[in-house]
Amino acid sequence: MRLRSGTGVINGSRRLPAMSLRNRIALYYTGTSAILMAVVFTVIFLTVDGVVYNHFDEELRHEVNETLSDSHVHELDVCDFDRLKEMGLDEAREGRHQSRHKVRKVAEIDPEYVQLVDNAGRVVSKTANLAQNVLTFRPSYAGVRYFTSELGQSTLRQVQVPLVGRNGAVEGYLIVAVPLKSAMIVLRDMKYIVLVSYPIVILTLFVVTRLIAGKSIQPVEEVISTAESISQANLGLRMPLPSNQDELYRLSVTINALLDRLQDAFQREKQFTADASHELKTPLAVVKGTLDVLVRKPRDTGHYEERIRYCLDELNRMARLIDQLLLLARCESDTTSPNIVLLYPGQLIETVISRMTPIAAVRNITLDLSIGYAGNVAADPAMLEIMLENMLSNAIKYSADGSGVSLRIDSLNGRPVCVIEDHGIGIPEAKLESIFKRFYRVDESRSSNTGGSGLGLSIVRRLADLQHIDIAVTSRENHGTVFQLTFPLTEN
Amino acid sequence: MRLLIIEDEPGIARFLKEGLEEECYAVDVAYDGKSGLDLAMTNDYDLIMVDWMIPGLSGIDVCRHIRQSSSSVPILFLTARDTLEDVVFGLESGANDYIRKPFEFEEVLARIRVQLRSAGQGGEVLSAGPLTINPVTHQVFCNDLELTLTPKEFSLLEYLVRNKDRPCSRSRIIEHVWDIHFYSDTSVIDVYINFLRRKLEAAGCDGLIQTMRGIGYIVKSNVREA
Repeated sequence: MRLRSGTGVINGSRRLPAMSLRNRIALYYTGTSAILMAVVFTVIFLTVDGVVYNHFDEELRHEVNETLSDSHVHELDVCDFDRLKEMGLDEAREGRHQSRHKVRKVAEIDPEYVQLVDNAGRVVSKTANLAQNVLTFRPSYAGVRYFTSELGQSTLRQVQVPLVGRNGAVEGYLIVAVPLKSAMIVLRDMKYIVLVSYPIVILTLFVVTRLIAGKSIQPVEEVISTAESISQANLGLRMPLPSNQDELYRLSVTINALLDRLQDAFQREKQFTADASHELKTPLAVVKGTLDVLVRKPRDTGHYEERIRYCLDELNRMARLIDQLLLLARCESDTTSPNIVLLYPGQLIETVISRMTPIAAVRNITLDLSIGYAGNVAADPAMLEIMLENMLSNAIKYSADGSGVSLRIDSLNGRPVCVIEDHGIGIPEAKLESIFKRFYRVDESRSSNTGGSGLGLSIVRRLADLQHIDIAVTSRENHGTVFQLTFPLTEN
Repeated sequence: MRLLIIEDEPGIARFLKEGLEEECYAVDVAYDGKSGLDLAMTNDYDLIMVDWMIPGLSGIDVCRHIRQSSSSVPILFLTARDTLEDVVFGLESGANDYIRKPFEFEEVLARIRVQLRSAGQGGEVLSAGPLTINPVTHQVFCNDLELTLTPKEFSLLEYLVRNKDRPCSRSRIIEHVWDIHFYSDTSVIDVYINFLRRKLEAAGCDGLIQTMRGIGYIVKSNVREA
C-alpha cells in the first residue's frame, strides 16, 4: 500500500502522473496568477495608453477651438476659410500663448504645430515651428479625426478638422498636431518594465509557492511515512496527532479510528481462528490418542468396545461442531440474504418441538407450547427453524432433569413475540452479555457434559440480525432463563 | 517416575494416564489450573504436562507459578494453538517443551524421555553391580539373564537403581513410584520389594536391595555376594 506508486495507477489517464502534489499546487497557482497578472497588466497598459491619448486629444481640441475662435472665423459651425488663410497662424497662436503665458508653460515644452490645408490638399499656411516639414493630411478622412502620425523622427498626435464654408462645402482643413515624445517614452518604458518583470515575478511566484506548498504538506508526508510503517505486525501503532486542529488533524484521527477498527477485526479474527483450532483439535486429539493407546497392547473385548464407543461420541461431537462452524461461516458471509416470508409460527414450532421431544424425554423434560397469537410473522422459515432448534436444544441442555420447557407465541405492544423459558441452572448476570459470543461458554470448562460448542447462540444472534428479529434474554441463576424473540411489525 | 497431567479435557487426560501408566509411570491428573498447581506444589513430580487452555489458572500461569517457586521440574505444555507466538510465549514462560494437539502417543513418550534424560534421570542404561536396566525398552538384565517384571516392579527397581548408594525413604518411594491415590498405605512397598528380591535371587542377584531399618531401602553399586 504505497501511496506514491498508487497514484500512478489511479490517475493513469492523467498527463502528469508523476508530478508531486507540491509541484502541482505551485504550478496551478502560478499559472492562474500568470494569467491574472497578464490581464491586469494589459488592462493597465491599455488604460494608461488611452488616458495619454485622451489627454492629447483634449489638448488638440482645445487648440482647434481657440485657433478658430481667436481668429473670429468660426460661427455656427461655419468657417471663413479665406479669412483664416489671411491670418498668420503663428501670430494668432503666439498672441494666444502670450496672453495665457502666466497660466500655462506647456507651450515651451510642448509646442503645437498648426497647418492649414485647402480642399485640394495644398498647404495654405502653417506655423513657423514646422519649418520645412509638412503635417500629414489624409483626404479620405471625412469628419473630425484624431490620429497618430510620423513627422521625421518624432511621433505626433494630430487632429484634422474640416472647415465648412457658408455654402456648406468643405473649403479646407485645419490640422493641429502635438509631439508625443515624452508620453511615448513613458509608455515604452512601462511596456519594457512590464515585459521584463513579468517572467521574473512569475518565476519567483512559482518558487515561493512551491516552497510554501512543500511546507504545508510536510505533515502529510509525515502521515504517509507513519502509515507506511504500520503493518500487520505493529497494528498497535497510531498516528501522532498534529498540534493544530486542522484537516490534517482530522485525517490523523480518521486514520487512527480506521486502524482501531482494523486491529479489532484482526484481533477477533485471530481469536476466532485460535478458538476454532482449539475446538476442532481437541476432539481429534482425544480420538487419536485414545486409539493410539488402545492398539499398543492387546486388551479384552469390553475394553475395546468401551473405547470405540467413546471415540464415536467424540467424532459425533466434532461433526456437530463442524456443522455449526460451517453454518456460522455461511450466515456471516455477506452474500447470505434471508428469504423472508409471512408464515404462521405455530406450525414451525410444533415441528421443532416434535423433533426435540425424544431428546427431552431422555431426561424426562416436558416441552409445552401455548399459542396466544394467531397471526403471521415475517421470517425466513429455514433460518427461524435453525434458531428455534438451537434455542430449544440449549433450554433442554441446561434444564434440570424432570423440569419443563415452555414455549409461548404472543403479541407484545402489537409485535409478535416468541418466548422460550426453561427452569434450569440459569446464567449469572455478569455473563449474560457474553453468551452470544462465539465459542463462549458460561461453564468455563469445555469438558462439560453438555457437549455444546459455544456456537449455538452466535448462530441464533446472527440469524436473528439477518431477519431483523430482536433477542432479549433474562435469567436468574438456579431458576432458569427466558429468551424472547420479538418479530418485526408486518404490514397486515 | 511420577508425572502430573493438568488437562481439562477428560478424554485426553484419560488416555494419557492410561498409556503412561502402562509405560510404568505413576500419573496424577488435575482437571483445572488451580488444583493442578496445588498438586505440583505439594508433591515431588519428575515431570509435569500442562494444557495451555484450562479453566481457572491458565497453563501459562501454572508454569510461571511453578518456576517462581524455583522448581526446575521439566514442564511440557500441550497446546491446540499452533501459532509461533503462542509457542514462543509458552517456552518463555518457563516450559521446557511443547506438544501440539493432536499428537502421537509415541511422540509424547519420546519427549517425556528426553526431558527426564536432560533432567538427569532417564534414557541411558542404568546399572548397579550385575544389574542393568534399560528404561526405554523396559528390559532388566541380571548377569545377562533377562528378568520378567510387572510395570510396578520395574518402576520400583528403576527408582532404587537411579538413586543407588542413597537411602530411599518409604515416603519418597511412594511419591515417585505410586500415584496420589496410594499414599495412605506404605506397606505395599514391602510387598513389591519381596517380589523383586525373589526374582533377583532367582537370577543370581540376591542381596542387591538392602533394608535400612526405620528409613527404607537402598541399592548399592558394589554389592558382590557378600
